[in-house]
Amino acid sequence: MKLIRRALGALALACLFAAGLRVRGKGGTPPQHGGWKQLDLPADPT
Amino acid sequence: MTPPADRSVVVVGSGIVGSRVQRLLGGTLPVTVRPWSDLAEPSFSLADHAGPGRVIVLATGGPHSPVAARLATTGASVVSVSDGLGDVSELLELDDAFTAADATLVVGAAMAPGLSGLLAQYLVTRLHQSDEIHVAVHATAGPQCARQHHRALAGRAVGWHDGIWIERPAGSGRELAWFPEPVGARDCYRAEIPDPLLLHRTHPDVGRISARLSATRRDRLTARLPMLRPPHPEGGVGALRIEVRGADQYGARQVAIAGVAEFVGAAAGAMAAVMAEAIHLGEFPAGVVVTSDPTLDTNALLDRVRARGVRLQEFTGVPQHV
Repeated sequence: MKLIRRALGALALACLFAAGLRVRGKGGTPPQHGGWKQLDLPADPT
Repeated sequence: MTPPADRSVVVVGSGIVGSRVQRLLGGTLPVTVRPWSDLAEPSFSLADHAGPGRVIVLATGGPHSPVAARLATTGASVVSVSDGLGDVSELLELDDAFTAADATLVVGAAMAPGLSGLLAQYLVTRLHQSDEIHVAVHATAGPQCARQHHRALAGRAVGWHDGIWIERPAGSGRELAWFPEPVGARDCYRAEIPDPLLLHRTHPDVGRISARLSATRRDRLTARLPMLRPPHPEGGVGALRIEVRGADQYGARQVAIAGVAEFVGAAAGAMAAVMAEAIHLGEFPAGVVVTSDPTLDTNALLDRVRARGVRLQEFTGVPQHV
């Protein structure tokens, strides 16, 4: 019983910590798309 | 090589790639299609289908080297879409035979190898000095291509690393490669594919050359087993990513990246068609031709590939998120 209480306590602490990071963190959203554009081939000199 | 008088093309294979080559060339050149079983049969007479000036597009799984060796004796030029490491290695050894026959053998005329070489050469010309070339490929064309993908993840991957050839187990060396949309980011692994061999042939001064295939956990887990189910008729949208690292004229480090997101069969078909057309125009020398060869008119070839519906793209950097 003591073990379960401790495990639940640790879990609750971890959840609190993660929630804090989630709400207060400043990491922002990582880029979701790469920056691709059409290839510019040099004009044929002829 | 002077433009051949006989302007006919024989496409061997009528799968995903073969049928696209036939469709793309059909409007400009007389094209006939033969099944692979004909040419692979040693008793088959080549005289009716191959000869000086003719171009034979081998658009099947292969191996192509035994058939190409026989075709060299007829004086016909050959375009091979083979992507097997051993097969490509043997095709490269046919240089003398094709030179003697005043014919051309294009080795690697698919998406990778093929378009990968053209894009690598294009990027190399953008930098003052090139130190590394890295190729990443996602997805496959038809069933034979899918089987080759399966084999490639179970073999020995070759790479050129600081002046020596290295061999690593295929499926190792995970790297996250960012392909053009809609493919996006994929985990890629070393694989037994011939791009390093071909790129080193034309760029011996580049210090590091590697090639990777995208794969899922299931692909890697089952790579050394027989294919558990028949491959799909055609893969979805595939992709290609070429990264060249080097320096500008002031010594500052530079990275140039180009790519394609396209059905692999469509890109491979366009490449093979452009190669066959270039042979007919007399643009290629006799002997073995590799698409990353700096003496070829890379921009013109890329332009023709693009004209056949393949959208070529370059990476301009990670955009700032909002």
